[in-house]
Parts: sequence; structure tokens; C-alpha cells
Amino acid sequence: MAAGVAVSPLARDSHDWALLLLLGGGGVLALGVGLAARWGAALAFGVGLLGAEQAVRLARGPAELDPWTPLYACAFLLVAELAWWSLEQRVPAWAEWGLALRRLVTVLLACAGGCVTAALIVIAAGLPIQGGFGLELAGVAAATAALAVVAGVARTHVR
Amino acid sequence: MTRAATPKLGAYAGLAGAGLLAALVLGRPELAALAAPFATLLVVGLSLAETPRLSAVLELEPERQVQGEAVELELELRSETRVSRLEVLLDLPEGLVAETPNPQLLRLHAGERRDLQHLIRCERWGAHLVGELVLRAHDPFGLLVFEQTLDLRRPLKVYPRGEVLQKLLRPLETQAFAGNQLPRTKGEGIEFADLRPFVPGDRVRRVNWRATARRGAPWVNETHPERNADVVIFLDTFAEARRHGESTLDYAVHAAATLAVHYMREKDRVGLVAFGGVLNWLTASSGIGQLYRVLDSLLDAEIFLSYAWKGVDLLPVRTLPPQSLVLALTPLLDERSVRALLDLRARGFDLAVIEISPVPFAPPGTQELDDLAHRLWLLRRDALRSRYLRLGVPVVEWREGAPLQAALEEVRTFRRHARVTRA
Repeated sequence: MAAGVAVSPLARDSHDWALLLLLGGGGVLALGVGLAARWGAALAFGVGLLGAEQAVRLARGPAELDPWTPLYACAFLLVAELAWWSLEQRVPAWAEWGLALRRLVTVLLACAGGCVTAALIVIAAGLPIQGGFGLELAGVAAATAALAVVAGVARTHVR
Repeated sequence: MTRAATPKLGAYAGLAGAGLLAALVLGRPELAALAAPFATLLVVGLSLAETPRLSAVLELEPERQVQGEAVELELELRSETRVSRLEVLLDLPEGLVAETPNPQLLRLHAGERRDLQHLIRCERWGAHLVGELVLRAHDPFGLLVFEQTLDLRRPLKVYPRGEVLQKLLRPLETQAFAGNQLPRTKGEGIEFADLRPFVPGDRVRRVNWRATARRGAPWVNETHPERNADVVIFLDTFAEARRHGESTLDYAVHAAATLAVHYMREKDRVGLVAFGGVLNWLTASSGIGQLYRVLDSLLDAEIFLSYAWKGVDLLPVRTLPPQSLVLALTPLLDERSVRALLDLRARGFDLAVIEISPVPFAPPGTQELDDLAHRLWLLRRDALRSRYLRLGVPVVEWREGAPLQAALEEVRTFRRHARVTRA
């Protein structure tokens, strides 16, 4: 799946194929290394490189909104979820076989939800609203606030 | 219950942040759309995560078992909250092996009670504490991990599996109480000993009519009384030879348990002396209670490194009853145990030494010098055995794989041809 995510920008954009190939290939390689060596940082790096490949394609491509973005978002999340699931410590016995199925359904639902979220953002971006410094500032503030919320909820304390 | 973030949480936060930043820098809202699912999953996952509240009750059946057999462990888990994924690991001490899958993965609803059964095989003898439970729970999206260790340990005594012995070593002297041993003296009993002429006072039932008819005068049967004996098992715990998880101490404990069970079955009184870095002793007694005391003492037998010189005079007098048979189980590696046994022989005890051979645990090296050293060591051991034999102490080398009965037969053969002399 990661290979498919890496190859699809090459099929859609042939101008910077060398750079896209480098980023996509590097991402797939990093994912492979992370899975083989059970190294989480390599997985994050691999998904990041695949994201960078998309960023380069979008930055060097036409200004129109890419309608396939929600599908890419779903695929990215699915690749990341399956990769981290592969790294989890294996339990030799599954007391309930339904747990694996339930986990898979949860992952697929999360990806579907991610797809919907991405679609809403693309739709919102396509609305005829004039930009400007104020809107950009609001965007920065929203991004910072989102990360602050995540950090706050994820605060680890030992009980 | 400790809570910690998984690496996935940090990675997703990083990817979401990088995506949002890239969207702002490059001016492409699609990048924000790519980052949004990661951020959304973080917020939703962390909001849904709740600290599990778990408790457990553990039961072990039976609490005493023989080496090689299995025990059943029943675990009742209770959760007050919903747990999407719970890993349950039973942390077993060395010598115990779980035959059922361990760890196990579960899902618990709020208020649910779940029963788990574990079958644990007792691979090695000893006194173990079983029941340390490690619980690891995950939230539905694998962003947080909760860990808790429950100490529900229960004692489990695993006794060494003994051998079946056909014949035991007969002590030279017996005691005054009834038992199954045949002393050299004559008295009231069942076992035939001798014939003698009738004297006034002999019971009529003792008259041997066949001998009487042949001799023309009354002759009576004499019998051996049945007496018990005192047996002291002397366990050398100064040093051991160990290789591949087995040691001479394992064999010594195995032999000690076998001898204790068989001698007590013959109504003999059995005592135990663990002579080593730590002195441990049990005065000789009989009965099922004494048997369990001896076996429980054997479970505590281990090698404690000590350089202090120790002699048998440190032991209480009652530990070594006079005229008792002392069966020494020793690898003859430590000079202190060698001297102690010689001291016992000098004090007139009926001593037999079963040497738990350390030779299989110390193979010769590959170099010529190592081989020479090994041969010298074997010669020294032969000289030590000769020293004991000259003093009339039977020393039998018992190696792994050989039955204990064979060692006892060798001792019996030596005693048949040797005579105990006292100065």
C-alpha cells in the first residue's frame, strides 16, 4: 500500500519525477527498515517522506485543489495504522479471535473518518472566501491550538 | 496503574504538526487535509482513553506438587471500566513453565468478570512464589499504554521426584523401637534367626517340632526382633558442580528425598543435616510430619559461598544420634566436607558416602595442559576415595543416568566384605 501511495504522484506528475521518486522510494525504504528492525522512528520518517512527496507534487503542480486528497489522507492513515500495528508486541495467543477483527474494523472506520475530515477541509478550502493576513493568522493560531490540545490531552502522569 | 504515551502518539502529533506547518508555508490546503486525520485521531483517541481499574483473585491447586507434575492456577479478573485490549502475563519464577498460552490477550467490558485457567508444569524442585501478575492495557487506538503489576503470590512447594528402591542399606546397629530392620541380636520377632535347646521359660509355640523330633529333645526357634534404626542424611552444600542448568546439588537433593521417603516407610527415624555455608539440621524422627519437614528442608537447600571453616562439632549432639547410619551425599569438592566426614568416621559413626560425581560437569579441556590438569584432578579424587576406603568407609561414585539402587548395592557389597573395627 505504501508503494502505491509512493508511485501514484509519479503517475500524475511527470515533471519532477526524479525528486518524487527519491522521496517516495525513501519513504517506502524507511517503512521497510522500520518494520524489519521494529523501529518506530523509521516508520514516522517513512510516512513523513511520503507526505513530503505529496507536498512537493502539490507545490510544483497546478494551483487547483486536488480532488483526490481525501483518498490520499485515508491511504496515509491506513499505512501508518497498519505499520504501527505490525510493530506492537506480539502476544502468542489470542484469547478472543474477535479482537483482531474488531481492531481492523476500528482502523478502517478511523480511515473512513479521516477521509471525511479531509474532504470537509478540501470543500472548505474550495469555498470562495477571500484570504489575507488575518485569515492566515487565524490559521496559524488554529494549528497551534490544535497541537496544544493534543499535547494537553496526551500529558502523561504517573499514578 | 502507570500511564505512558506510546511512540505512535508522538509520531502522529509530529506528522500532524508537520502537515499543518507545510500547508501554511506552501499555501496548499490539501496538506492540511492530509494532516487532519492524524490530528483528529489523536484528539478522539485520547478523549476516549480511560484509566482501567482492574483487580484479580488467584487460586493455586494444589499447593504442593512433585517435580514433573502440573498445578492448576485459576485467575479471576475484574474490571470496573471498559478495556479494549488487555495483556495478562503471569510472571513465573525459574523452574516453572506455563503449558497454557502466556501472556493472553483479552477484551473486558465495564463490570465484567473473567476467569482464566493456567496449567503450570513444575520442571524443577524448590519453594516457589507463584502469582505475580503483569497487566498491560491499551486504549482503542494504541496511543496510550497502562501497566500495573499485581502481587498475588502464593507459595508452591515442588518436591523432587524420587526413585523406587528395591532394597535399602541396612544399618549396622538398630534402636530400641519397633521397626522393619533386622538387628543382629535375637529376641521376640518373626524373622527366623537360630535354633537352640529348650530352657525352662520358653514358650511352647516357639518349639520347633521338626528339630525336636530329629534330635529327641525339645528345640526352640530364635528370631530377630524388628527394630527401627536412626538414619541421618548428610547433605554437602558447600560446593556444587553445575552445567547446562543441572548441578550435583540437584542429584543430591533427589537422592536425599528418595532415601528419606523409603527409610521412613520402614518406620526408621530420619534426620537431615545440610552442611555448608549455612548449617541446617533436623533431628531424627519418624512419621508423616517428619517426612514433610525433611522434604521442606531439602527445598531450602542451596549453595551459599562461605570461607568460614566449619566442623561437625558445630552441630547439636542430638542431630547425630549414636549408632545411627549416616548417609553422606557429597560431590567431595570442598575440603571442609571431606574433613567433616572423616571426623564422623573417627567418632565411630556408621558412615557411607555416595559421591555425586562432578566429573560429567567438568569435561576436560581441549589443550594438552587442560587435559593434564583434568587427569591430575581425577587422580586426586581417586586418592581421596582410597583414603576413605582405608578407614572402612564405603565411597561409591554415582553419576547421572545411573540408578541410585546401583550405588546402594555397591555400598552393600563393600560392607559385606569389610569389617568395622573400633580401636
